[in-house]
Amino acid sequence: MTLSRRHLLKLSAALPLAAAAPAFAATDKLSVVATTGMIADAAMIVGGDLVEVQTLMGPGVDPHAYRQTRTDIVAMNRADLVLWHGLYLEAQMEELLLELAEKKPVVAVGEAVPQDKLIAHEDYDGRFDPHVWMVPALWGDVVRGVQAAMTEVAPDQAEMFEANATAYIAEIERLGAYTKDALTTVPTEARVLLTAHDAFGYFGSDYGFEVMGIQGISTESEAGLDRIAELVDLLVERDIGAVFVETSVSDRNIKALIEGAAAKGHDVKIGGELYSDAMGEPGTYEGTYLGMIDHNVTTIAGALGGNVPSGGMDGKLSAGG
Amino acid sequence: MNVTLAADHGVLTPVEARADAPLAVRGLTVSYGEKPAVFSVDATFEPGAMTAIVGPNGAGKSTLLKAALGIVTPLSGQITCFGQPMSKARARVAYVPQRASVDWDFPTHVIDVVTMGLYRQLGLLGRLKARQVTEAMDCLARVGMDGFADRQIGQLSGGQQQRVFLARALAQKADLYLLDEPFAGVDAATEKAIIAVLHEVKRQGKTVVAVHHDLATVPEYFDRVLMINTNVIAEGTVADAFTEANLHKAYGGRLATAQMRVAG
Amino acid sequence: MLIEALTLQLGYNATLVTIGATLLGLTAGAVGTFLYVGKRALVSDAISHATLPGIGLAFIAMVMLGGDGRALPGLLIGSALSAWVGLLCVSWLTYRTRLTEDAAIGAVLSVFFGAGIVLLTVIQSMRAGRQAGLEDFLLGSTAGMLWNDAVILAVGGAIVLGLVLLLHRPMALVAFDPDYATATGTDVRRTELAMMGLALAITVVGLKVVGLILIVALLIIPAVAARFWSDRVERVVLIAGGIGGVSGYAGAAVSASAPDLPTGPIIVLMAFGIFALSLLFAPDRGVLAVFLRHRRFQARVHVRQGLLALAQGQPIYERLTLRLMRRAGLIRADGVATETGKAQAARALLDERRWEILRADSRHEWAAARYDGLTPLERVLTPDQLVELDRSLRPEGV
Repeated sequence: MTLSRRHLLKLSAALPLAAAAPAFAATDKLSVVATTGMIADAAMIVGGDLVEVQTLMGPGVDPHAYRQTRTDIVAMNRADLVLWHGLYLEAQMEELLLELAEKKPVVAVGEAVPQDKLIAHEDYDGRFDPHVWMVPALWGDVVRGVQAAMTEVAPDQAEMFEANATAYIAEIERLGAYTKDALTTVPTEARVLLTAHDAFGYFGSDYGFEVMGIQGISTESEAGLDRIAELVDLLVERDIGAVFVETSVSDRNIKALIEGAAAKGHDVKIGGELYSDAMGEPGTYEGTYLGMIDHNVTTIAGALGGNVPSGGMDGKLSAGG
Repeated sequence: MNVTLAADHGVLTPVEARADAPLAVRGLTVSYGEKPAVFSVDATFEPGAMTAIVGPNGAGKSTLLKAALGIVTPLSGQITCFGQPMSKARARVAYVPQRASVDWDFPTHVIDVVTMGLYRQLGLLGRLKARQVTEAMDCLARVGMDGFADRQIGQLSGGQQQRVFLARALAQKADLYLLDEPFAGVDAATEKAIIAVLHEVKRQGKTVVAVHHDLATVPEYFDRVLMINTNVIAEGTVADAFTEANLHKAYGGRLATAQMRVAG
Repeated sequence: MLIEALTLQLGYNATLVTIGATLLGLTAGAVGTFLYVGKRALVSDAISHATLPGIGLAFIAMVMLGGDGRALPGLLIGSALSAWVGLLCVSWLTYRTRLTEDAAIGAVLSVFFGAGIVLLTVIQSMRAGRQAGLEDFLLGSTAGMLWNDAVILAVGGAIVLGLVLLLHRPMALVAFDPDYATATGTDVRRTELAMMGLALAITVVGLKVVGLILIVALLIIPAVAARFWSDRVERVVLIAGGIGGVSGYAGAAVSASAPDLPTGPIIVLMAFGIFALSLLFAPDRGVLAVFLRHRRFQARVHVRQGLLALAQGQPIYERLTLRLMRRAGLIRADGVATETGKAQAARALLDERRWEILRADSRHEWAAARYDGLTPLERVLTPDQLVELDRSLRPEGV
């Protein structure tokens, strides 16, 4: 059939309409962008096959200091849903995310944790310690928050999300039980956790540990020499045997602490490397939320004199953590 | 054999440089960018003489001295100093630069400037001995500045600064003195003092070459003259080369001339 | 707390930082003097900002080779190399193009620093882990100072000081009179490069303590402050080193004595404090000294003029003159001269007449040059010269 001119005109009028059809007509997965790896992990599990998740901050990236790149902004603009942590964790991205929230679904899932369970910031009113993922029970609330956000955007899949979330939370609860068991094996006088920055506040309050960081809650604050001296005295006084480095933070301060203690005749070792603000390599067990916490707990308990299986909760930890 | 230029003939005869002349240049061309400041200059400076380098502004007089010393790089040409390349003969050459090229705020006393003339002897780390300090003070006394030894150089007048520079050159005990406009902007007393020292130096058998800006005093102060305006106009004794005809050639119409005493 | 800090009793870490900062301040002050008197102060700013891309590239290179991206020697070498390239760019731009040096410095500084920031942003998303800490090089971070860092600082500082000692004569000569330096056989180009090389070494060594943004302050402020205390370059170098060292010491001690005080900026503030004190109170050259000297001079001039007027029977109009003379006991409250006043007036007039004669006599040109309206001739001539001169005052006495 030959194309008459009228047919041609109709066709060309229809083209722009076809192009304007919604983006996920091409793939019918929900495209989700998550800031931290832990949130991405939760999103992938809750969403299952129905979502495609992209993470902005990979392993070893410090969320307190992270500044978005152009690629990140493009990705967030194209996504159907943006999940971030909130509670001022992604301090440098806050402005952008709040702006973006006016145009599309942007949810701070960290804020799904009820306020009475949060630790208030020492110096700033109305601000809280954002490191809620350290305690599995709190992270359960966040997972529910992820579920709620996804349900909002794709309500017809609500059942699927509910099922996935509930199964995952059961796993998380099991992790919580393991954590409690592992940490109670640490002798009481050894329950001091000293790390590079104050990421483990919730850990401390929930499990009866004294928790101290060289830098404050955010790694943007510079550690003072005064703080180092204070901590050196503490290490010596309380005869603490191990301190911990973090994957997303420089280990210089910890090393300086160790040298300082050595000068006072006290031998402190590095108990291990903890995943504080970021998970391990993707594709490994430690690259999942469960693996991250499993690793942290096992390493801490082991280094401080507790009695834990070196393979962790299910024996899945790689040797040497 | 030194053949002086027969300037009135308008023909330039090449000069055969004496092998051991205190300073000789052959075919010297220096340019800043694309514009030549000095073009194909041949000149030999007689030992034991006081030679003035004269020419209009921008004629390349300072450039000639600087090229001879290696301060600017020539495009072409050969420079010999006492028969050797300048780099080997530096111990025998003393340079008195233009006052304007120096930073007068620099923290240094008059006596320190003079002892700079001794740096070659002292090397990097050698300590200044009492004998050398006395020598430096003597040089200052010869120029009448010994009372100013402890002054910071920025506190001196133009003439006083010029005399300190001369004292520095004297401290080097050189055989050849190259001065760039030593009388520019100095008072009459300083001028008399400087020329007296230079004549004394000449009497000791040393060679003096000075870029000079005041045509009126050329016959009184100098025995020989090199007249240039980018290339050589005339070279020879004051009597032979410092003629009105040559001056016209060098300066064109710009000669504001009446009071000059010129030969022939 | 502060006393303990200043007497190095605050523990290992604080002591390490304090000693390191003192060494850094000392060497920076000494090297910075040559930059300052050679009018090359801003080039050091270009150098410090040009270290940033080198740090980033060194990190990336080390990670790619499988090592720890933050090994300090590697980062320092990287920073030195890119700073050196920056320096060569400034040099090339100045010598080969029509750009003035400050334009060249501005260009290099901003381009290199910008490139460095881009690299840091790229690095932050690298899946290599542990990259946090590179931004510490911007403003320094002393809490994490280790024994090895202090060793690098000490060795680097010692080498730099040794070279300063070795090269101080050519560097001073080149800064003062580069043409004369060439004429006497100094390689000006190489000496200038050496000077900048020393500045580069100090910058690299000081990155951890004060950071690249502030290192220029540590190079320049002690030198500028020292200038108020001496007119001789060797002394200025020593004093600048001392001021730098004291600033490093005090700044580090203060920052260790209280929480949340950053070391680098406090050191710079100390240096600035010393500079402000020098500016105001240095004898001879400080603002206060100059002011007082000027006032004294003004008073002398007024009194001299007043005495001359008195001697010649002219009235004195200026109130300041009258007040000063009254205070010196030269005139009474009603303006009439006292005995002392009359005597001094007569002497002043005699002196003035003597100077007149001297300045007209061509035999005394040297002495005549010392006329300043105030110095009495008795201080300039010998007694027998004075006697001879006085004879010309009384023509009948010859």
